[in-house]
Amino acid sequence: MADVQLEHITKRYEDVTAVDDMNLEIEDGEFVTFVGPSGCGKSTTMETIAGLTLPTEGTIRIGDREVTNLPPKDRGVSMVFQNIALFPHMDVYDNISFGLRLRKYDQAEIDRRVENAAEVVQLEGMMDRMPDEMSGGQRQRVAIARAIVRNPDVFLMDEPLANLDAKLRVHMRTELQRLHKQLDTTIIYVTHDQAEAMTMSDRIAVINAGQLQQIDPPLVCYNEPDNLFVAGFIGSPSMNFIEGEVTESGFTSDHVDIDFDVGAHEAAVGEEVTLGVRPEDVYIADSDATIEDRSGRFPAYTDVIEPMGNEIFVYLKLDEEGEVRLDEQADDQVLMSVDPDIAIDEEHRIDVVFDRSKLHLFETASGEAISHGFD
Amino acid sequence: MSTNETDAAENLKQYGDEEEPELDRGPVEQWAANAIKNPDRAYKAMFYTATVFFLVTTLFPFYWLLMVALTSRGNLQNIVFTPGSFDPTLLAEGDVFMGTNPMAFVEVFMTVPFHRYIFNSFAIAAVTTVIVIVVASLAGYVFGRLKFRFKGPLMLLVLIVSFFPPAAFFIPLNQLFNTPVDVMRPILADGTLYNTPYAMLIPFSALFMPLSIFILTTFYAQIPDGLEDAARVEGTTRVGALFRVIAPLSAPGVATAGVLTFIAVYNEYFFSSLMTDGREHNWAPLVEGILRYQGQHEVLFNLMAAASIVGVIPVALLVVVAQEKIVSGLTSGALKE
Repeated sequence: MADVQLEHITKRYEDVTAVDDMNLEIEDGEFVTFVGPSGCGKSTTMETIAGLTLPTEGTIRIGDREVTNLPPKDRGVSMVFQNIALFPHMDVYDNISFGLRLRKYDQAEIDRRVENAAEVVQLEGMMDRMPDEMSGGQRQRVAIARAIVRNPDVFLMDEPLANLDAKLRVHMRTELQRLHKQLDTTIIYVTHDQAEAMTMSDRIAVINAGQLQQIDPPLVCYNEPDNLFVAGFIGSPSMNFIEGEVTESGFTSDHVDIDFDVGAHEAAVGEEVTLGVRPEDVYIADSDATIEDRSGRFPAYTDVIEPMGNEIFVYLKLDEEGEVRLDEQADDQVLMSVDPDIAIDEEHRIDVVFDRSKLHLFETASGEAISHGFD
Repeated sequence: MSTNETDAAENLKQYGDEEEPELDRGPVEQWAANAIKNPDRAYKAMFYTATVFFLVTTLFPFYWLLMVALTSRGNLQNIVFTPGSFDPTLLAEGDVFMGTNPMAFVEVFMTVPFHRYIFNSFAIAAVTTVIVIVVASLAGYVFGRLKFRFKGPLMLLVLIVSFFPPAAFFIPLNQLFNTPVDVMRPILADGTLYNTPYAMLIPFSALFMPLSIFILTTFYAQIPDGLEDAARVEGTTRVGALFRVIAPLSAPGVATAGVLTFIAVYNEYFFSSLMTDGREHNWAPLVEGILRYQGQHEVLFNLMAAASIVGVIPVALLVVVAQEKIVSGLTSGALKE
């Protein structure tokens, strides 16, 4: 068990910068998830921690050792790969014990540890199966057993559930959480699936274009995103953005005006800003839902309706005529999520309100958050 | 067979039955007519014809060798399809060999220390194969799995070595190996490599290396990066991952490269005969041994034939053992590149 520190990690390839000045401190026993779109550098960051890729600049510490240039085998890390990467020519026992055998543990100790690891991932009685005789979920368990059997300081998981089917993925998700509680090891987990990130992590590191955007507990990332990217990336369906500017009385745009005390929110009059509102914070004005802090009413037309069962997604057009325009501006359209028992039709004129305490304001140019919630 | 199919088959039969009696065909015509109606028969016939043709042309020399080996010295001109002195009636008189001479296979070892020649060829081939596989694995790893500048030109350079006729290397190498080097005197009697196994190991390793590098490069390039990464995180070095994970998973390729090298070196005569003086304790190869049955006054053809058959046995065994892997290796290599 150990903490992990990345200082100014940069990885440049000939023409691209995959990781750009990454600074991270991951505490002992913490479950941190790197999340971001494909190609954002999250896997490369993990590979530099594992030692499979050497960073161009920066230092990496695991515990009190600097490991920046150590080979992977000497770092005290173990890793679960996206494509599972079991050795196809070895049976389950040989796969799990591979690292121990390389380190010349004695046979009794190897047997004991393999047995323990197999018990943790519920693989008893499969020791002499070959990987190609097992299902995807079983293979993934073997890969996890292979990683935990060495009692690593840090446990790295690179999209370990990506190749499993949806049902198994949800199941393995809870198993991984249980495993983390049981082992109490530092876990670094890479995924592009924000549901995995939200449910499992102690903290989420949101990465985009090689840069760390925010590292915070999942709900902080959700409720108080540091910038537009985090706001748009965390949460599904994603946050609605409405572009406008700051006036003396508050926020104004083509269709939406929100009054707030400009002086109290570090916003300058005339500044181009973006208002963010999550679909669940948009309400039908006449519904009896309890809203903490109602905004004014905005006229809207319902466009497409997507019933999900537990909720309904309604695409709203804020245009006053409600005409369908092909060159739609982003702030013409807002997604609302409502209770499934509310009767609502397509192509109808309704009034909507926002919950002012859940609104977010960002600087349009830099994307930086100005304020979360107006009072 | 379903009812429909049975019906169809019966219809066809009836159809055939109706047509046949109207024509008066000879047997060849009949067979041709059947072949047209049922081309599978024709294909099968072609398959057997081709198979028999290839079997006869490849195996006939061995058959003839066996016949020569089994004929006693005076009867060599009497071989037709049986050994020269073959006479089944002798069985009744208590000669279980029916006039043939299987003792030639024993005489082979009594006349000349032929086992030593086999051992020489076998040992040189085995050591060369090990050297080639180990070095070519490292090269194959580099060419197949790493990215670096000038990879293409370097690979071409390696392959160019195999374009030269081996004879082109002979004179400079012979000069080199006959030059006494003082520092080697404690290990080698006269300080030269002439008459030592090294005089053959070194050029053979170099000559057969490019093909093996090429074969292993194509195989090693196929192994997913994830497996190598997993091995390295689990505790191997890059070289450890190569020999513990990548090479075992490329077993067909390694077997192909190994067997091709082994057979080529085992059968080699040109270099080996010129790098040794032809005596068994000086690491002369198999073929030198066979030539020893050729004396000044007579040529023991039957022993030469017997020796040839004995010499083939080790390679035949090796190929049978490795056959499955070699076949899949040769074909998959062909498909992959």
